[in-house]
Amino acid sequence: MSPEQIVEAALFASQTPLTARELARADDALDVRRVREALAALREHYDTDGRAFQVYQLGDGFQILTRPEFVPYLERFDSVPRPPTLSRAALETLAIIAYRQPIGRIEVEEIRGVASTSVLRTLQDWELIEVVGRGEGLGRPLLYGTTSRFLDHFALQSLDDLPGPEELSVALARTAPEASHTHAPAPRPEEPGAG
Amino acid sequence: MTAVPNRLPSQRTAQPFLVELDRFQGPLDLLLHLIRSQDIDIFDIPISTITRQFHEALTDGLDRLELDRAGEFLELAATLVHIKAQLLLPGRSDSEWEDDPRAELVRRLLEYELFQEIARTLGAAELERRRHMSKGFLPPKPPREADGRELATTLDDFLAVLGDIRGPDPVETHLAPIRIVPVEDKIIVIRRLLGENRRVPFHRLFDSWQERQHVVAALLACLELARQQLVRLEQVKRFGAIWLFGRRPGDGGKEIGEGAA
Repeated sequence: MSPEQIVEAALFASQTPLTARELARADDALDVRRVREALAALREHYDTDGRAFQVYQLGDGFQILTRPEFVPYLERFDSVPRPPTLSRAALETLAIIAYRQPIGRIEVEEIRGVASTSVLRTLQDWELIEVVGRGEGLGRPLLYGTTSRFLDHFALQSLDDLPGPEELSVALARTAPEASHTHAPAPRPEEPGAG
Repeated sequence: MTAVPNRLPSQRTAQPFLVELDRFQGPLDLLLHLIRSQDIDIFDIPISTITRQFHEALTDGLDRLELDRAGEFLELAATLVHIKAQLLLPGRSDSEWEDDPRAELVRRLLEYELFQEIARTLGAAELERRRHMSKGFLPPKPPREADGRELATTLDDFLAVLGDIRGPDPVETHLAPIRIVPVEDKIIVIRRLLGENRRVPFHRLFDSWQERQHVVAALLACLELARQQLVRLEQVKRFGAIWLFGRRPGDGGKEIGEGAA
């Protein structure tokens, strides 16, 4: 059996993403590097063969998923209910946590300007965020961070996939400060994953 | 609510920014909307105009909001008024941005706007991700009923399944005894026993039946016979055994076993 076939069999049989390390467990001859090579070969085959599915990376895991163009066909079946799409409030809160983690509720509310207790609870219920520690301040507030399900939910491979400051400068460039205003504090997201 | 100025309806309708507060995530969202939709330079916000427009929006929708949310809008309204007041104070140098009363608000607005943009990016990524299905997206389910196909089940299959079906557990019933124990029958028993024995323990009259009815009937029979002075009841101590004695000849009463019965 080729590594490609073994990896394919494992991915096919799994309902959840498998990491390269997990996939390597399938055979003594496999290691992470060979698994990655096999994954690349698989992806290429699926593309050239025109398969309806592809190997996608979600967080640090890999999973066989259908290609997006088949949604209209699949939606005609009684499908498994999925969590609803996130509200604007939930997306805003997640964005703040993703870039500023670990971060407490008070800091999130300072940025959003609105109370955020319930939205934080919802995000926790959906396991998109989790408590990652406690702050130093009064009452040792809970600090939140994103989870691996967060990466899966947005099909991100890692936090590095989040848009960086240079990609986000568009919104700021529209009304760039004049020369006399260069001292204006422009907010920048911290380097994702730096924490 | 004192922060909301009273304005005449005619003036209000003249304003181009009638906004639904519900549409906004909060006061920063509303303020950003006012600034961006009018192409206002965020580093040179005309505080007077914006404050007025902000108040306009509140006048139209504040009372429909929950108290907590309304408070959030009012807090920013107060901040705007405060900034406006500071701008009117004399002696402020125009050169340094850090000294501008608007600086902190602008910093917050830009920061919030940045995260709004990230949120939009995430929203798009979420939609794209939802277009990929994993295994199990279509759950297995039983075929629909009555789709016109013939039944592939034989009578034997049916009966086999039927045999496997456990019926309901038998209902635990308590049958109330419908047989009434006549006192007369007990009297006959007592007479017979006393004909054979000098004395008879009371419990012997009902022991073999283990039924309350027999106890009652035996007791009534004893009392009746005692009333007729055909038996004598003896109990040595309280709750002790009760003994029945037949009236012996010479006791003055009728002899048991030959009485009226």
